[in-house]
Amino acid sequence: MSVAPVPSALPESSSDGFARLSRTRFLLSNEFGLILLIAAFALLFAVYTSGFLSVFNLFSLGRNAAVNIMIGLAMMTVIVTGGLNLAVGAIGVCAAMGCGWLLQILGLPWPVAILGGLALGAGLGAVNGWMVVRTGLHSFIITLATMSIFFGVMIFLTRAEAFRDFPEAMTAFGKMRLLTYLSPLLLLTFAVALALAWLYRFTVTGREMLAAGANPAAAELSGIRVGRAIILCHMLSGLLAGIAAMMLVTRNGAAIPSMAGQLGQDWLLPAFLGPVLGGTLLQGGKVSVLGTVLGAFLVTMLSSGLLMLQVGAFWVQTFLGLMLLVAVLLDKARRSWLARRNLA
Amino acid sequence: MDRSPIFEAVGVQKAFPGVLALKGVNISLLPGSIHALLGENGAGKSTLIKIITGVHQPTAGQLRLDGQAATFGSPRDAIARGIGVVHQERNLFPRFSVAENIHLERLAMSYLRPVDYAALNRAARPWLEALDLDIDPATPVSELSVARMQLVEIAKALSLQSRVLLLDEPTASLTSSETDRLFTILRRLRDDGTSLVFVSHKLEEVQEICDRVTVLRDGANACESRSMEGVDRKQLVQMMIGRSEGAGAWRHRDRRDQPEVLDLAGVDTALGHRDVSLTVRKGEIVGLYGLVGAGRTELAKAIMGQFAVTGGEVRVNGAPVKIRSVAEAIHRHRMGYISEDRKSEGLILQHSVLANAGVPIWRRLAQAMGSLTDGRVRKVASPFLTKLEVKTPSLAQSVGNLSGGNQQKISVAKWLAANVGFLIVDEPSVGIDIKTKAYLHDLLRELADNGTAILLISSEMPEMIALADRIMVMDEYRIRGEVTNSGVYAEISHRIMDRIHDAPQPAA
Repeated sequence: MSVAPVPSALPESSSDGFARLSRTRFLLSNEFGLILLIAAFALLFAVYTSGFLSVFNLFSLGRNAAVNIMIGLAMMTVIVTGGLNLAVGAIGVCAAMGCGWLLQILGLPWPVAILGGLALGAGLGAVNGWMVVRTGLHSFIITLATMSIFFGVMIFLTRAEAFRDFPEAMTAFGKMRLLTYLSPLLLLTFAVALALAWLYRFTVTGREMLAAGANPAAAELSGIRVGRAIILCHMLSGLLAGIAAMMLVTRNGAAIPSMAGQLGQDWLLPAFLGPVLGGTLLQGGKVSVLGTVLGAFLVTMLSSGLLMLQVGAFWVQTFLGLMLLVAVLLDKARRSWLARRNLA
Repeated sequence: MDRSPIFEAVGVQKAFPGVLALKGVNISLLPGSIHALLGENGAGKSTLIKIITGVHQPTAGQLRLDGQAATFGSPRDAIARGIGVVHQERNLFPRFSVAENIHLERLAMSYLRPVDYAALNRAARPWLEALDLDIDPATPVSELSVARMQLVEIAKALSLQSRVLLLDEPTASLTSSETDRLFTILRRLRDDGTSLVFVSHKLEEVQEICDRVTVLRDGANACESRSMEGVDRKQLVQMMIGRSEGAGAWRHRDRRDQPEVLDLAGVDTALGHRDVSLTVRKGEIVGLYGLVGAGRTELAKAIMGQFAVTGGEVRVNGAPVKIRSVAEAIHRHRMGYISEDRKSEGLILQHSVLANAGVPIWRRLAQAMGSLTDGRVRKVASPFLTKLEVKTPSLAQSVGNLSGGNQQKISVAKWLAANVGFLIVDEPSVGIDIKTKAYLHDLLRELADNGTAILLISSEMPEMIALADRIMVMDEYRIRGEVTNSGVYAEISHRIMDRIHDAPQPAA
């Protein structure tokens, strides 16, 4: 038998119901668990390291978190469709190099160059999406291929040489500190996260993306243009990867082909850690922007704190991997606990 | 004949968090008998089946096998004790062969020894023969028809030496001739001494084949393992729903003077339909009858723009149109399609009631920059959810957690909210109970009376005759003829079958 907590007809004051339900749910949610973890680790690092709460460390922590969160969001927008985007790093580097080329070779003003770089990122994402829709293959295959293709073409065109002549205006932004410790990059990331939350919660396009991700057949028969929604998701992913890359460029003052490692693979771990820790379903159809932000922040904080505890860099990687496993198992346990009590 | 029961459940209770699904239920199964298990959705049938087959353990009460108390810790236990089940959902592996599926439980007896396929196929053959199934055991299951898959599942259950065999809605996806064959086989199994439990919503079938009956209502016995002798349909319904069946019969309506909403003239499709012509007028219910595989659902999807129309002409409200996508059909031409397969095509199970009910109207309700709040959707959709008496704790509940009947109501409500002018309804009463079904029928009539043009696809002849004004008969992707409904079952069913048999029949 499929459930039947035999209720009456529809509760009239459903808006009240929503509010009360969501408050209880928040305390039981993944996001709340992440907040607790962040608080606990922050306390731990503050007590056991010197300098974790120093102005300099908070600034660099925020700046790193800004980039990692953005990378996580870039992956999240594709996970929504039940797919993934292995080419986030490659697209990011291409966007950065494109921006450098527009600036240095064509001599365009920097705002135009940045927009050009972002457009390139979005365009490459759209190419991914278009191929996924047209071939019907899983995005894993498509983006595995395009990761190498995008990166290879970029190396060929740039001859693997970095662009380093970025104007003062751009690099100053990366170094700017508000209230002595806050990076404007972090504020930019929060603004983007808010925009995404609004997209999924309060726009038709966002709802259609979620519906298309959860059940493409049902979505199509309900009048959603599923192919278009999926292409949009990939395009958004490319755009966000581009933004993350631009943030790195302003921080480093250069666009370097190896800024995300070989084929952009260095971005993959942070890209998956954020959404998965944050409770975005890998099957697609459910998304938590707040969770992704918190998850990516937690990861950034852990790496920084563990390094300050003088744990070796390799152990940090190991610890992050363990963290991912434990978090996912805990979340699974939480879900089945909730399901047994008919709360979710 | 003095027969003692093979299996008994005595005072079985089952509590789930927050619900008492079974409140002390009794059932006793005799050898050589076909026992009907009836009840509306949510009455506790599935829970009882899961307890009998070891999926759930009872909270209180006792199971007895041959008079001895028995506990089944897992489905494997139950199978080992001779209790087999054929579930409503297919449980076969499509890419595996028939023989592999039949022997799945015993396939990997040792980890490294290779599977002896020849022996496997040999061992499978007698079970297939017992069911008159003339198929090579090495055939992949995915190549079989739905009816044959059903029989393979039965063969699998039998091969496990089942003395008690539970069949959960075995006829739901079978045509009437396939059902007849299944019944012949079930009767033979009965005569060989197997105790069969038959779960179905189709009372005609229950009356035809069952000799004993247990009815559940609200988790308790409405009647307990009594003989079917002298029990008529009215009594069964009374026991199931606690009152008599609503009348809601067919009534004559003539819509010939109404404007044509949908008109197909000699339409060919990419799926293989040839020269299909049919018209649905404003306020008219046109039935599209045919056997499973006749191409009805496929035609519906081609009309909706999911598959290409390659010839002929489609006219909507008199104007010739080319519909290139489902989105276009819904948003531009105000057409809707209620899928027969609500779980995979009708609803998004993991999303909320409100999100499901609102999908077709999102675009219409959107404000500046495509923004849309839940409040706006709720204002339009919730009156229809209320009207259809959808039972849910809240609009935020995941649809997957609701009962089948409620899910079906939501998939209907979503098109009511969309206010379409033309609606295709594909097998509306699959897996829903009598009360909900009668309600749906009333609703479809009411919709038509208010001017919606409806194309009704159904394999259930009584449903077709209760609802349709005219019935188009389809076979092998062609229209074989048209029957004007008079509401007289014997006459119309006869005329419909004539239309199908006029055409050269392929071997069933």
